Amino acid sequence: MAGSVIDAVRCWRALVAVTLSVDAHRTLAWRSFTVSDVKIAAELRTEFGKGAARRLRRADKVPAVLYGHGTDPIHLALPGHDTMLALKNPNALITLDIAGGGSEMALPKHIQRDPLKGFIEHVDLLLVKRGEKVTVDIPVILEGDAISGTRVSLDSPSISIEAEATHLPESVTVSIDGLDIGTQIHASDLVLPAGTSLAADPDTLVVNIIASQDVAAEDDAAAEQAAADEAAEASATPTEENSAADES
Amino acid sequence: MLIPRKIKHRKQHSPKRRGVAKGGTSLAFGEYGIQAVEGHYVTNRQIEAARIAITRHIRRGGKVWINIYPDRPLTKKPAETRMGSGKGSPEWWVANVKPGRIMFELSYPNDTVAREALTRAIHKLPMKAKIVTRETGDL
Repeated sequence: MAGSVIDAVRCWRALVAVTLSVDAHRTLAWRSFTVSDVKIAAELRTEFGKGAARRLRRADKVPAVLYGHGTDPIHLALPGHDTMLALKNPNALITLDIAGGGSEMALPKHIQRDPLKGFIEHVDLLLVKRGEKVTVDIPVILEGDAISGTRVSLDSPSISIEAEATHLPESVTVSIDGLDIGTQIHASDLVLPAGTSLAADPDTLVVNIIASQDVAAEDDAAAEQAAADEAAEASATPTEENSAADES
Repeated sequence: MLIPRKIKHRKQHSPKRRGVAKGGTSLAFGEYGIQAVEGHYVTNRQIEAARIAITRHIRRGGKVWINIYPDRPLTKKPAETRMGSGKGSPEWWVANVKPGRIMFELSYPNDTVAREALTRAIHKLPMKAKIVTRETGDL
């Protein structure tokens, strides 16, 4: 099953390489392709608890749980390397070949990672069916440059959308080319891929173009003002010494 | 400098240093961040020095977020004082930073300048730290 994952990654890399070599316009197009389907072989877990979970992790496996559609949760052990490759995309559609349990399609619902090393410690998988609509968060990618003297504030790095589980877009692209100060792009202004609808509040601010300010000069001015205020306060009302109270 | 406006107890026990960060381990605002690799107390002076290092380098066109706050007082006894006679007086304000915590975040359009600014800030901090970005998927 490792071969299928590697094949999927190879296909993806080849696709990116081809699109990158064509031209800049086409380069942006690949981002709106749907996420690839990845097959992973899974085993049913029979032991539970932190001891068993740690034994699994030492054997380069990832403990996972599969749930959804009102079914009982299924506890699984996934191959570590394949899972890591598959979860490079947070919305990857995973086809699980469960040993002795048939085949299921799932989306990653929650990924627990080591805070320092980034190892995957546990995965929650949500059961999906073909044609079912799901709500997922996809990243917002900015394209182009705003006019000079502006700062582009990406207020919502990801946006919530509703789409078919088998046709999830990887990202949504927003063009900020030549935008002026004061321009705001809301969620309702986004051009979503076909078959996709917005699940977030349409008034959500996604991109805000604001005037660029000299932060260092502002800091200096604020520090000078604070020093002046302190000096004025010190000269007006002498502070009460409480060192005697501390020593007692 | 960051300092609490009002506190419940002037002298507290020293914060516990064991464990790793429970939250705040991923970028929430900016595209770049400084992540603590070790746990350490970070004083308000160090936070301010790091912030100034970033802002002086980027000058304009960026935004800085500070995700830690020095809300714990540390006390110190005066020099050449005999033991006993109570706890010393508050000397520092510190943030108890655990490994994995994102301490600073930065939004800036130029990758090279942003990394240099954060490197300068890391030099002002007491622990080992690394730069993380949203694009590389380090988080």
